[in-house]
Amino acid sequence: MKTYPITLSINGEKTYLEVPPDRTLLAALKGDLHRHSVKEGCGIGECGACTVIMNGAPVNACLVLAVEGDGATIETAEGATCPDGLSDLQQAFIDFGAIQCGFCTPGMLNSARALLRRNPTPTREEIVEALSGNYCRCTGYQPFIEAVEAVVEGRSRGGYEATPQPSAPYVGGSTKRIDGAAKVTGAAHYVHDMSLPGMRHARIKVSPHPSARIVKIDTSRAQAMPGVKAVLTGESMDRKLGLYMQDKDILARGRVRHHGEAVAAVAAETVEQAAAACQAIDVEYELMEPVLDVHAALAEGAPCVHPDLSSYSWMKGVFWPEPGTNVAHNQKIRKGDVQKGFEEADRIFEFHFTNPPVQHVPLETHTAIVTARPDGEVDIITSAQSPFTVQYLFCHTFHLPANKVRVRVPYVGGGFGGKAGIHLEPLIYCLSRASGGRPVKLVATREEEFNTLPSRQGLDSHFKTGVTGDGRILALEIQYLWDAGAYADYGVNVGRAAAYSGAGPYHVPNCRIDSRVVYTNKPYGTAYRGFGHLEAHWGIERNIELVARAIGMDPYEFRKKNLLEVGDTTITGELFTEGHGRPRECLRLVAEAIGWDPAGRASAVTRPGAGKVRGKGLAMLQKAPAMPVFTSCSCVIKFSGDGSAAVLISGVDYGQGTYTTLSQIAADELKIPVDRVRVPWDSDTDYTPYDWQTVASRFAVMGGNAVIQAARDCLGQIKNTASQVLHAPAEKLVCQDGKVWVAGRPEPKLDYSQLVLGYSFPDGNSVGGPVIGHGRYIAQGLTHLDPQTGQGRPALNWTYGAHGLEIEVDTDTGEIRVLKMASAFDPGKVLNEQQCRMQVIGGVVQGLGSALFEKFVFAEGRMLNNSFVDYKIPTAKDIPSEMHQFFVETPHPQGPYGARGVAEHPMISVPSAIGNALANATGVEFFELPLDAERVYLGLKHHGEEPKL
Amino acid sequence: MTASRYERPATVAQAAALLSEAPGRATVLAGGTDLSIRLRTGLFKPELLVDIKHIPSLSEIRWTSSGDLVIGAAVTMRRLYSDQKVCAAFPALTQGARSVGSLQIQERATVGGNVCNASPCMDSAPPLIVMDARLVAVGVKGEREIPIREFFKHVKKTVLAENEVVTAIIVPAAAAGLLTAFDKLKRVRGHDLALVNAAAAYDPGARTLVGAVGSCGVTPVMTRVLTGVDASAAEEVGPELARAALEKICPIDDVRASAEYRRDMTALLCRRLVAKLLSGTAGR
Repeated sequence: MKTYPITLSINGEKTYLEVPPDRTLLAALKGDLHRHSVKEGCGIGECGACTVIMNGAPVNACLVLAVEGDGATIETAEGATCPDGLSDLQQAFIDFGAIQCGFCTPGMLNSARALLRRNPTPTREEIVEALSGNYCRCTGYQPFIEAVEAVVEGRSRGGYEATPQPSAPYVGGSTKRIDGAAKVTGAAHYVHDMSLPGMRHARIKVSPHPSARIVKIDTSRAQAMPGVKAVLTGESMDRKLGLYMQDKDILARGRVRHHGEAVAAVAAETVEQAAAACQAIDVEYELMEPVLDVHAALAEGAPCVHPDLSSYSWMKGVFWPEPGTNVAHNQKIRKGDVQKGFEEADRIFEFHFTNPPVQHVPLETHTAIVTARPDGEVDIITSAQSPFTVQYLFCHTFHLPANKVRVRVPYVGGGFGGKAGIHLEPLIYCLSRASGGRPVKLVATREEEFNTLPSRQGLDSHFKTGVTGDGRILALEIQYLWDAGAYADYGVNVGRAAAYSGAGPYHVPNCRIDSRVVYTNKPYGTAYRGFGHLEAHWGIERNIELVARAIGMDPYEFRKKNLLEVGDTTITGELFTEGHGRPRECLRLVAEAIGWDPAGRASAVTRPGAGKVRGKGLAMLQKAPAMPVFTSCSCVIKFSGDGSAAVLISGVDYGQGTYTTLSQIAADELKIPVDRVRVPWDSDTDYTPYDWQTVASRFAVMGGNAVIQAARDCLGQIKNTASQVLHAPAEKLVCQDGKVWVAGRPEPKLDYSQLVLGYSFPDGNSVGGPVIGHGRYIAQGLTHLDPQTGQGRPALNWTYGAHGLEIEVDTDTGEIRVLKMASAFDPGKVLNEQQCRMQVIGGVVQGLGSALFEKFVFAEGRMLNNSFVDYKIPTAKDIPSEMHQFFVETPHPQGPYGARGVAEHPMISVPSAIGNALANATGVEFFELPLDAERVYLGLKHHGEEPKL
Repeated sequence: MTASRYERPATVAQAAALLSEAPGRATVLAGGTDLSIRLRTGLFKPELLVDIKHIPSLSEIRWTSSGDLVIGAAVTMRRLYSDQKVCAAFPALTQGARSVGSLQIQERATVGGNVCNASPCMDSAPPLIVMDARLVAVGVKGEREIPIREFFKHVKKTVLAENEVVTAIIVPAAAAGLLTAFDKLKRVRGHDLALVNAAAAYDPGARTLVGAVGSCGVTPVMTRVLTGVDASAAEEVGPELARAALEKICPIDDVRASAEYRRDMTALLCRRLVAKLLSGTAGR
């Protein structure tokens, strides 16, 4: 192919290169010129992650051909700094908490830079407009908008001034993100940005059918194509993969079970060659009848998605698959006597709710580089949430000892549960082996991210509630049917966790829950922020609202009357104590913030044409980490000679900010300034100590406890050495600001730098030695659940919360706008206030996506919207006009400083609160998600009509 | 992605000559915001990309002495809606341009590319249709004008010959006497393709009103011309335009919306456009 010489001026540096005509500017900047701040999020100009400034204009580099750019001036985030450091915009991004995973940050920064250059005094609306072409899945956009506003304001007063960095004690304050500078400058490198010498590039071929027998795969044309090094199909791979159920082949074998399932893979010298070879693989299918929803899957005589279920291995004693059917797991909860409860109830109500499958949409798609070394060792660099889980599952699959497999995780561009467990790594390993042990990299395309990689499973829930005339819940019977899709992955555990949490934060004396996880021929589900709780709470909190209204009671009062109180037991028999937190206070705060009015409900059904109507809604939520009884975390702290410390830990900060929180804890415990603490970003099974998984909002809690213990271990060693120098017992020593002295005798002071590598007396005699502390924490007091009743203690800590909001509904179109949003949580102790707020804002906006827009659309099992063209997520224009956050701090006995997790929770019950507000605004009840404009409009239009068959 | 040759002609004649070198295997590259996505799939493999952005006249916005507006085919959406004179004269057109994709897209996407791509949901077509715009197409045999109302044949299909290139869009001076407006329904407030888009033009002198609707059929459609429009009777004219639109559209159920919702929203947009035009809140 002909190549063309081009000249680009990149951040002021003239650069010459030769490009083929179809090379995009993105590929040239990233692949050829190593400007890795330029990110690829979709390749089709929807996400804005590759935004660069070209001749002064923000453009998507993925939609510009490099040849078109000949002669252009290009600016990237690498060139955004000033001679004396970060620019005002970069600094403001950090100050306002606009940094989470960081993958969208450089693109967002470029959009903001381009705006302010053209329009130095933009209005808020103009800022939102300028940033709305950049997707962000973490922050909820508000901090970006506020940061730009602050810069505009600052410049008008002679220059933006950075907000001050809080001083010690750090815990509880808003220490700025320790990864901020790396992310605003493009210095943070993700697996997407990495390459290794001699590396091959892989692509996969996926199934176009939801269910089919693979008759034949002809790879001969692909094998013969230029640059192709390895072509694999499932035939050559007999290992089964799976987290709890080993039910998945590395590449489909014999049959495909969902649209998008990988059937073949190619490693080649270039991505383009690999992609071309995939197209040249001929697969002959014999179509089979797909099972497309949970009810069909449970029907008598339904085809089995896994006919060989009985031959699989699974985690026995925890999960209960039913071979010969499509049931992957059945979790039962039995408390009290439900029959009796219904008999004693004055009123009984039944309601049915549904949630569609949705996707996590991390801005960085799944990717890994794997090297199957000739000496038998394996080196994995992956965009994953849990390096030790990748290692464990990888070794389990390939029967390898853990000491031969190294897993490294650098910066990760968002996870939200979708990068928990193991995904592409085994396939890439096989490709590397087949390519003579060369490193092989596979980056999922955005399309593959949607339906080759896992999603959030759909849910169909049925509630039967018995209440007394004065509004006390006596009995609750719930059926949860989870649409697992083709493989169980985390889905079975989602069905388990949502069951033991399945009645919400209420006292229910008689409860029966059957939570069944059902195989279908859809893309498979996995963990997603909230782990089943957003889906379950859609039913729980809509049901509460519907029952309250049906008995003529204020839903606020009905909730208050039934909320768990000290002395109650949960549906698994756990005693609710003061240390559990105060859900009632969370509810009160949000109700007050939105001015809850029990009479504020449409008096009649509202039809299209009624213009804009408003309504308020409330919803509660609860969640505890779903984890094995033995879940643990460990930490090592080591020192440099100058007295600064490094905290080694294997949990992954994929945006949630835990490393910043841990650095605060370490600084306070070690008595040193926070800027003397480093948390090395890469987790590495070779060098950082064991951690279970970074999921379930448990990292700050368990990691925090481990850091506290490790820091105290260090301090003991420091004092031990110092006591020999100061001739005083260790317990008499005081440590502060990196110095040690004897209590009541401020001089002499020893600096940590004199102690942490060992102390040398003037005569040369030395004592002590390098300080290395270790800490660990293992969950305490958990029990397995009884298989028949679900009774037991499954949860380390429960976090309770509530949302209150006001919406405006355009009845003419069905569009919903959230005017005001108030959210309250009891995280026990706020460890970093800014980061807590950012988790809430980001979670709320992600929850809005589930509430208003997001759904998988299928036609006969084929997914129609596996791209950003037709799978829409909230943009900067879609956020609530006002968002308020409240924190109630009721210490948890086991948490670090009393803290509980709060990362997933903000997303839960956002749809429920909107659904409740929608009912109050329009007088029409909705039972299905999402509440997109069309559903709302048609719901108002057809309310009261007989459903069409 | 695959394409084997790239050319950057400096004149329209050179562009036309290049296109006729490889008929059917060469393609015009303007903003590239649709083309590069098609290239990415690997299924569209043109031999030759003819980049028309360096033909000076194609990046111009000019007004003829008779008052026609001539928009070069390579004028970007942002260029177009940043032009105050165009905004004032043809608000429907600039409102449509402003709603194409995100800002990053508007910086690249061109008016010529938008119409030649002929996606049923393109936002520039309904305004151009109600203003009775014409396209200038140049082939090796010469130049011709094609009324936009006759340009679209089917999804992604136009009457353009393989070796023709659209060089300009002419909005006739007559349209300057019209009041025009554009509206669009999307799934999110951020950038999105239209579930329905519509434009309407009201001629206060002639008391006529016409609408055009996109995303509700294989091509955008124009309504019949309403005559004898009573400017003080928006309540009656709105539904009349809606009925006229519903006679023409042929929406389907697809991944973005149902036919029923599209029909109802078509009617709604028509009523809203009429209310805006007859109340005088729309510009001219």
